[in-house]
Amino acid sequence: MTWTCVQIEEQLSDYLDGLLSDAEQREFRAHVDACPQCAPLLAQVAHVIGRLRTLESEPAPAALVSKILDQTLGPRKTKHDWFSWLPMLWQPRFAMGTVTVLATLLIIFQATGVRRSDITAANLNPVRIFHAADSHAHLAFARSVKFVNDLRVVYEIQSRLQPANNPAPNNAAPSSAPSQQKSPNESQRNHSTNGSFAYVATLIPDAPTRSPR
Amino acid sequence: MEPDAQLVQRCLRGEGPAWEELVRRHSRRVYNICYRFTGNPAEAEDLSQEVFLRIYRTLASYRMAYGGFPTWLTSVTRNLLIDHYRRTRHDRVTDSLEDVMPKVEEKHSPVRTPDKAALASELSAQVQSALSRLSPDLREAVILRDLQGLEYNEIQEVLSVPEGTVKSRINRGRIELARVLQEMGLRPE
Repeated sequence: MTWTCVQIEEQLSDYLDGLLSDAEQREFRAHVDACPQCAPLLAQVAHVIGRLRTLESEPAPAALVSKILDQTLGPRKTKHDWFSWLPMLWQPRFAMGTVTVLATLLIIFQATGVRRSDITAANLNPVRIFHAADSHAHLAFARSVKFVNDLRVVYEIQSRLQPANNPAPNNAAPSSAPSQQKSPNESQRNHSTNGSFAYVATLIPDAPTRSPR
Repeated sequence: MEPDAQLVQRCLRGEGPAWEELVRRHSRRVYNICYRFTGNPAEAEDLSQEVFLRIYRTLASYRMAYGGFPTWLTSVTRNLLIDHYRRTRHDRVTDSLEDVMPKVEEKHSPVRTPDKAALASELSAQVQSALSRLSPDLREAVILRDLQGLEYNEIQEVLSVPEGTVKSRINRGRIELARVLQEMGLRPE
């Protein structure tokens, strides 16, 4: 039995989907191979179906799921995850900042001679860190006070402001030679004028006991 | 992966995460059916939300006799699309400029980018334009069979028509789509 073009067109999808029997397929092919109208139609439909099946599905809008859930389950509370901020650190700007901080710490450790092996768990005790920071702060303050009091201009100003404690000095200007012998009166004057200096000097271990100029 | 039937049972017990999983699993497919049918991303998104809203409200009426959950979901989607089409067909102008312009642009397009993504995008646009020229019956049959990959018996359940009608619609839809795409310049190499 030879098929007509109308029959071929009606059975086109069944042929392409493999739903025809072997005999029907042979008759179908016999007509198509000889028909100048059915052959291009078959080729075009087969081509279109093939292209349709290679099409990727479109991505759904990003907010679709959340909109559906809000409409059905209601607005949801955002979960507070302790580590929800971590993904933010992986952004380039934060990564650059983190690298910069680490590099700075590395340079500081190298400059101060601190090695990683020197740092133990005990060193990370907050109380110990506080006490160390406190003593270092006092030490820094004491050194700055000593430095200021050692300045000649400061001494001159203090001497003029407290003339009762500072009797008129000799005409000769005080010498800057550290090895110069001082008179007992002068020593007493220095001590009474610079009582804070004496206190401060005691805070500095192995500080040279030189008198102010 | 947990079966859909099990997720549905958990939803009926009031478990929100089960519903969320169902939505995440099927939202893309529903969106694609709506998008291919309407050709409009915004409409497709709105219709997709309506589909899931309807599903959520009628989940208690779902029975295994309706077929698998995906089949039922597709059926609800299809019914909503047909309702939407009937509501809005008076607002549409047949053979409008938008239907003609894609054909003109493709014939005179001077640049053919060799990039695969660009070609795929162009094909998608051509297919979308061609689908919009089919009648709703033929359009949904081709979408369900050749874009969603449903079998004939599944399409029969979704459309609630005899198998012979399903085959006839698919066949006529494919032939019509092939003729439109041929006019637009898509030919076998």
